Amino acid sequence: MFRRRHDSEIPPLNTSSTADISFMLLIFFLVTSSMDSGKGLHRQLPSPPQEHEQVADINEQDIMTVTLGSDGVLKIGEHVVTIQQLQEEVRQFAAVNPHRRVIALNVSAKTRYDDYFQLQNAIVAAYRPLKCQPRLSDVIIEEGGEEP
Amino acid sequence: MIRRRFTRPDHSVPELNMASLPDLIFTVLFFFMIVTHMRDVEKHVQYTVPSGTEVEKDAHKSAIVHIFIGKPIDGSSDNYQIQLNNEIATVQDIARFIESERRQMATEDNERMTISIKADRDVPMAVINDVKQALRQSYALNISYAATEIK
Repeated sequence: MFRRRHDSEIPPLNTSSTADISFMLLIFFLVTSSMDSGKGLHRQLPSPPQEHEQVADINEQDIMTVTLGSDGVLKIGEHVVTIQQLQEEVRQFAAVNPHRRVIALNVSAKTRYDDYFQLQNAIVAAYRPLKCQPRLSDVIIEEGGEEP
Repeated sequence: MIRRRFTRPDHSVPELNMASLPDLIFTVLFFFMIVTHMRDVEKHVQYTVPSGTEVEKDAHKSAIVHIFIGKPIDGSSDNYQIQLNNEIATVQDIARFIESERRQMATEDNERMTISIKADRDVPMAVINDVKQALRQSYALNISYAATEIK
């Protein structure tokens, strides 16, 4: 009687190693995965220049000329300003008519990217409280400077 | 005899049921398998991205195309160079690169394609400007200057 019962039973499968195997797979995915989601300053570029482009007339008082030299010196018109002053100036300038007013950037070809990034960062920061999207593609004219 | 039958269970510690442990780990494993995004590009250029206060997270990972700008890691050149995919390239290659990336992308990703420019802080603006002009010509107009956030 004892023997017959033993034969009819299916021996249990040893599953204790399944946990170890899946642990190894888990660790593999943990190591190879890149969970870091990238961060960045989002900007929209203007479309490429067309052949027959209409030259828009912009009132001179609606243009703010910002110059960024190769040494990282910021100028509004002819006045040298710091990045904080520039942010405040841009904020006041854009507050009146943010959709029409234009910021013309003159950046030297030898300027460090970091300086340019800080300038972009300040402009985006200045537009943030205005509740309007910082749609700078149509408000900023970026020119590659010809400065030696 | 009766007493022994009653005292015996008190001596042995009940075994922990481990049957659900593999299932649990498998659940975590599947989560990671779905969430992860394999790192498919190897860095060939050295760069330190700038940091700013207005930095936003890049949404839609599958719609992001990376352009790296920096000095080559192997020291083969002292100039700043552009890396597209896995190789060092020039500005002229950008148009072709964008086109091939577009073709590989799903249709819904095509519209929200964002170019993440990962450039070193010391890269001269001439290089950045060339890249930007090339991107404009390819109508890849959504860009993101990769940066770290200052809180």
